[in-house]
Amino acid sequence: MNITGKKVLSQFGPFLGLIFVFVLFSILCPPAFTSVYNIKTILTQSVIVGIAAFGMTMIIISGGIDLSVGSQIALGTVVIATVLNMGNTGAEMGFMWPLLAALAAIAACGVCGFIIGRFISRFTIVPFIVTLGMMQIARGVAKWIAKEQTVTTPPNWLQDLMLLDPQPEWLFFGPGVWITLILFVLVTILLRYTVFGRYVFAIGSNEQTARLCGIPVKYYKTAIYTFSAFFTGIASIMQYSNLTVGDPTAANGMELDIIAAVVIGGGSLSGGEGSALGSIIGALIMAVLRNGCNMLGLPNYVQEIIIGVIIVGAVLVDRLKHRIKA
Amino acid sequence: MINHLHARLTYLTVLLLLAGIIFTTACNRSDSTGQSGEAAGEKLRIAVIPKGTTHLFWKSVHAGAAKAGQELGVEIIWQGPQKEDDRQLQIQVVQNFVSREVDGIVLAPLDERSLVPPVKAARNRKIPVVIFDSDLASKDYESFVATDNYAGGKLAAQRMAEVLQGKGNVIVLRYAEGSASTTARENGFMDGLKEYAPQVKIISSNQYAGATMEKAYQASQNILNRFSEVDGIFCANESSTQGMYRALQTSGKAGKVKLIGFDANETLLKAMQDGHLHGLAVQDPFRMGYEGVKTAVAVIQKKPYEKRLDTGVVMITKENMDSPENEELLNPDLDKWLEE
Amino acid sequence: MQQDTAAAGNWLLSLENMAKSFGPVKALRQVNLQVKAGEVHALVGENGAGKSTLMKVLSGAHKPDSGNMYLNGREYKPGSPAQGRLAGIAMIYQELMLAPHLTVEENILLGLEKTKLGFLQNQKQQVHEALAWLGQEDLQPNTPVNQLSIGKQQLVEIARALVTDARVVIMDEPTSSLTAADAQALFGVIRRLKDKGISVIYISHFLEEVFGVCDRYTVLRDGETVATGNLTDISTPGLIRHMIGRSVDELYPAIPHELSETVLQVDNLVTQPYHKTISFALRRGEILGISGLVGAGRSEIIRSIFGLEKVHQGQVKIKNKPELQAIYLNPNQALNADLDLLSENRKEEGLALNLSIATNLTLSALGKYAKNGLLNLKKEQAGAADWMQQLQVKSQSPLAPISSLSGGNQQKVCIARLLHHDSDILFLDEPTRGIDVGSKAEIYRLIQTLAGQGKAIVVVSSYLPELLGICDTLGVMYRGQLSNIKPVKAWTEDDIMHFATSGMETAS
Repeated sequence: MNITGKKVLSQFGPFLGLIFVFVLFSILCPPAFTSVYNIKTILTQSVIVGIAAFGMTMIIISGGIDLSVGSQIALGTVVIATVLNMGNTGAEMGFMWPLLAALAAIAACGVCGFIIGRFISRFTIVPFIVTLGMMQIARGVAKWIAKEQTVTTPPNWLQDLMLLDPQPEWLFFGPGVWITLILFVLVTILLRYTVFGRYVFAIGSNEQTARLCGIPVKYYKTAIYTFSAFFTGIASIMQYSNLTVGDPTAANGMELDIIAAVVIGGGSLSGGEGSALGSIIGALIMAVLRNGCNMLGLPNYVQEIIIGVIIVGAVLVDRLKHRIKA
Repeated sequence: MINHLHARLTYLTVLLLLAGIIFTTACNRSDSTGQSGEAAGEKLRIAVIPKGTTHLFWKSVHAGAAKAGQELGVEIIWQGPQKEDDRQLQIQVVQNFVSREVDGIVLAPLDERSLVPPVKAARNRKIPVVIFDSDLASKDYESFVATDNYAGGKLAAQRMAEVLQGKGNVIVLRYAEGSASTTARENGFMDGLKEYAPQVKIISSNQYAGATMEKAYQASQNILNRFSEVDGIFCANESSTQGMYRALQTSGKAGKVKLIGFDANETLLKAMQDGHLHGLAVQDPFRMGYEGVKTAVAVIQKKPYEKRLDTGVVMITKENMDSPENEELLNPDLDKWLEE
Repeated sequence: MQQDTAAAGNWLLSLENMAKSFGPVKALRQVNLQVKAGEVHALVGENGAGKSTLMKVLSGAHKPDSGNMYLNGREYKPGSPAQGRLAGIAMIYQELMLAPHLTVEENILLGLEKTKLGFLQNQKQQVHEALAWLGQEDLQPNTPVNQLSIGKQQLVEIARALVTDARVVIMDEPTSSLTAADAQALFGVIRRLKDKGISVIYISHFLEEVFGVCDRYTVLRDGETVATGNLTDISTPGLIRHMIGRSVDELYPAIPHELSETVLQVDNLVTQPYHKTISFALRRGEILGISGLVGAGRSEIIRSIFGLEKVHQGQVKIKNKPELQAIYLNPNQALNADLDLLSENRKEEGLALNLSIATNLTLSALGKYAKNGLLNLKKEQAGAADWMQQLQVKSQSPLAPISSLSGGNQQKVCIARLLHHDSDILFLDEPTRGIDVGSKAEIYRLIQTLAGQGKAIVVVSSYLPELLGICDTLGVMYRGQLSNIKPVKAWTEDDIMHFATSGMETAS
């Protein structure tokens, strides 16, 4: 009873935070804040960070970190744009080419993730360093492919994924929001109800124990980084959809927002803790803050200070939670 | 149990602290503008979205907008993207203003294409958009209020031809990928140079300074190391000019190499007095903000307005920088408008 | 407590009616402890009896809820460990608190540096005296402590206590990670402290040590003082009875089991760090003990066979399985080949501390609950609960975090994991380290029962009495070399010590 109570607190702590922030802004902001259109706006704005945070959640639970996701997202947008231009005959784009472009972006990020995972497990270099390197490499490759410019693309259905008022109208939310929801269910099941998810937790909680229990740690680490890079790839599709161009300078520093979302949502940088629900709530908290501060007309520095306070506050709560357990 | 409570208390404290920050800043804001949610009903609310907030250039825009706001009795909401070169964040700011149902948006797009969809969304919601400073790659807006950047670039080329006496090697340090206004300046400069000084050779025109002065400084150092026999340099905006000037200083070339920049700030004007800077093409950001808001209000009130408004460029040199009209342009009394 | 409280002034240290709660948990209810000047006082009790809390209160790390402490007749109320240290109470923790990259001297003086204008003053003399006092003149003050053995590091901690003019030195399980030789050296040091008039509070699970080195004792149970007196007036079983509140008729139960066919044959195994060749065989129903000093390469043998450590060469033949080249072994293969290992390092290797009991228990055999990679959580919890019940793990729920359990119960979960995986060959590395007497007895019984069920078991331990108590056969290690494996009855303690320290068997 008591234990489940604690579980509830750790699961719903971020959720309470989200409600608090939302209620606070509802009081302070003009009524437009709680309008359906604005809710749609907030949800759509948390899609990119949210999807990337799903992948980051797996990595952080496994005790790792990935600093290269921002660069990977930029690379993804450039890959999409480049593939789209290959298929551009001047006529309508159709369905297949954009789909191919999207898959290419996921594959490109997957390759980055695979290389990161292999390096970490094969040469036992800490993830921080490997991904710091990949951050530069992916960014460089993106600029190289894009010839240091934004790559313009013909209109296609990928650009409609992040629309606030989608076609057809019965979708209500943009396809990006629905995709996020589906991925959320998928990751939750993966982390809670599969052997893979269990091993991710075990490796992050204590790698030596995982080894002792016969888990092929190296193999799984590679798998974790590759798999979560697929999510980064999907995030890059959403980023492209928003920008409508391939932008090698996109998502600069976004990895920190993504990591912050996971941490606010209860992910522990020392591994073994975190959840998809927490991470998406973390992403939502940040989106609500940005939106609310814009609504209030607060200057940027206020937003920055508040987000900083939230991150440190979330970690503080996390610490206290640990002290209770100990 | 006690510890448990303790955790909750701390959580609460953090949240309260946050509430405090938001509350106080929010109250300050509403006090200063004399506006709050309820009273906003009658006054028009115009959102002005710059590319960034830290450059002096944007402060002048802000002042101009504020002046127009006071004259016309409309509320100005000033909000830039959190990071200066982040298209994504500027898209979000536009989206948020659309959500908020402001009466008009005055926007300086960071990217000519990426900002097309949010501007279109604003139009769909019947919110008029006036673009300023840089152009947008669609015609979904009401008016474009900006410097004729191409002409500004040509003006800089004319000055370059003059100071180099028609010969020498010139470097063009570009600003950033995808920025329409600076690209137009760079093109105007290079075309102008061909016209005014056909013997001058452009030895580099493919390097980018980046969005911050720090990045510009590093790029400038690298480019100066590579091309030692340079006679003249053109930079297309404030931060890259300042970064290049700093790099010239540290390599001991300040004053020897002719530097012509775009936009002004105190450091650059000081450099000009010292003879280290040989020309600054100066736009009128104050007027941009002023005219931008005026045009937006005209659109809303269904009064006549211009589709394209040129706010002009002036070439400032050491000789003419102290003239009264240039003095007014270079040191506008910003505080008068920004501090109420 | 038979003593007259009016004589409180005669005690060097006197604690009266100490109480301390953590939330609803009463860690200390009513504790009394009296220590004379220059005596070695044993503080014993099961895990969770309140010893650690009491010591933390005494050293100033925790504030008591009620009760009084007197040091040298004066009221003693430390606000922090630093104040406790200044007052003359020095604490030597189980996990040593040294800065590994600093030198012996720097560690001894840490926090006590005298400075002049911000520059360090020469305090070599002080350090030298302290080391000399401990009979450790050969310890070089400028050696970084991470180059010293655990035993020497402990002496550095004690030297630190001497430099602060400690009146009372508290030692928490000081020998738990020491070799026999280092432990002997420590006992010598304790006698020297005693001669100097310094009191030692000695906390230990090893009752033989307590009887060997201590003068008087105090027993804690459930946060209360239940007995105190002279050690000469009490026997080991008597002390245990106080500790667990009941008598342990048989600490080492003899459950009949039969040795049958060979199930594990190890040939020419060469491992780190000694590169000696090792061969041995293990039979069904056999409990094979491996003794030897710490660092003799005992754990390395079983860890290598299990694939946790690097192997240079060797063959491992498991009954009914193809012969394995040891070089290619990894834990995954070993588990599939019916081997399993209990780690000696419960906290660092054995358990994932922030996961639940169930997760830890089922981790090595998750396949039992998985279908196409999807887990059946209900079935898993039921399976875990079943094993927890069988091993009498005291906990509310299989979903409780493993860190909420006591050391003994954690160890039971580790063993439950082995039983849950159900391998036939079990390697148990220090199965009773750091757990209380009650749990130890249960684990001994369990090991015997398992052998009775036909498991083949290797037990590695530094604690000789338990090996002699439960094993059928015994081998001793000396610097990577394994003695002949003989029935336990064919060994005497002297023979074992002789081989462990010289690598030679006594001629018989």
